[in-house]
Amino acid sequence: MPSLQHICEWISSTSLSTSIQKSLWAFPIIESIHVLAIALLVGSIALFDLRLLGILMRHEPVSKIAHAVLRWTWIGFAIMFLSGLLLSIAEAKQNYGNLAFRSKLVLLLLVGLNPLIFHLTIFRSVNSWDLAPVAPWRARAAAWTSLILWAGIIIAGRMIAYIH
Amino acid sequence: MLTLFRWLASTHFSIALNQSQWAFAIIEIVHLLALSVSGGAILYFDLRMLGWSFRSQPEAQVARALLPLAGLGMLAMTVSGFLMVASGPVRYYYNPAFRLKMYLFIVALLFHFAVQWKVSRGDKEGSVRTVARLAAVISLLLWFSIGVAGRAIGFV
Repeated sequence: MPSLQHICEWISSTSLSTSIQKSLWAFPIIESIHVLAIALLVGSIALFDLRLLGILMRHEPVSKIAHAVLRWTWIGFAIMFLSGLLLSIAEAKQNYGNLAFRSKLVLLLLVGLNPLIFHLTIFRSVNSWDLAPVAPWRARAAAWTSLILWAGIIIAGRMIAYIH
Repeated sequence: MLTLFRWLASTHFSIALNQSQWAFAIIEIVHLLALSVSGGAILYFDLRMLGWSFRSQPEAQVARALLPLAGLGMLAMTVSGFLMVASGPVRYYYNPAFRLKMYLFIVALLFHFAVQWKVSRGDKEGSVRTVARLAAVISLLLWFSIGVAGRAIGFV
């Protein structure tokens, strides 16, 4: 069975990867999109988290804020995922051993679990606390976890370029 | 202006930033974290103006709720941005992408916050939709260009 390192080396040799590497502008353009879409994805998530914590729009129902940001969160996620995938393909070989890149993947996995748990548990009873200016502690815990994990992802993401 | 940038470069503060191994990376991270906050708040105000989000809430209310977040985030972006420039002022002075970014930034700052401030006061309630939409599109284009110009600083 080929090792993960071999797979990454193979990805680096594909025509998609080499064409991004060879192009002068492809990488910076994809990277710009990836960075700017942070505002859309993390901004949407932060807005919802801040509502749960009672910092923002505390007099609006939680479900209303969830509804307002949901579509844009998914659009932001799609842009981040695709642009991030292309950047990873372009630098697969270098990224394989990069500690920041590895940390980012682990954090992404964790940040995916957080809303899953949130929606399967405390958010099911949202009707009973929809109008509460500050959400119950389990929802607040999810909000803090989300904010901290996303900050960690941004930090790890930026560090990919600094450590080799 | 060049004199000012040269003077900044000669300060202990600037030299320390320039020599530190991790200062720039940390400042850049703060800049990005602040982007997610201010960018998100600005984006949702514009989306509301376009009628693409928070439709059931009055424009003035959305503008008011998002103003502190947009303002504080922008303050953090400005401070971290200034620190980046302070790490190598003369290099930035001669960078065309940086100049473009600063001109666009001044225009966007005045334009966007004037609009959001005015809407938050409720003066614009029930105003012409086309005007609101146009203002949102101009704001989005300006901020997007600033982001692209900002990324270009490292490449030109």
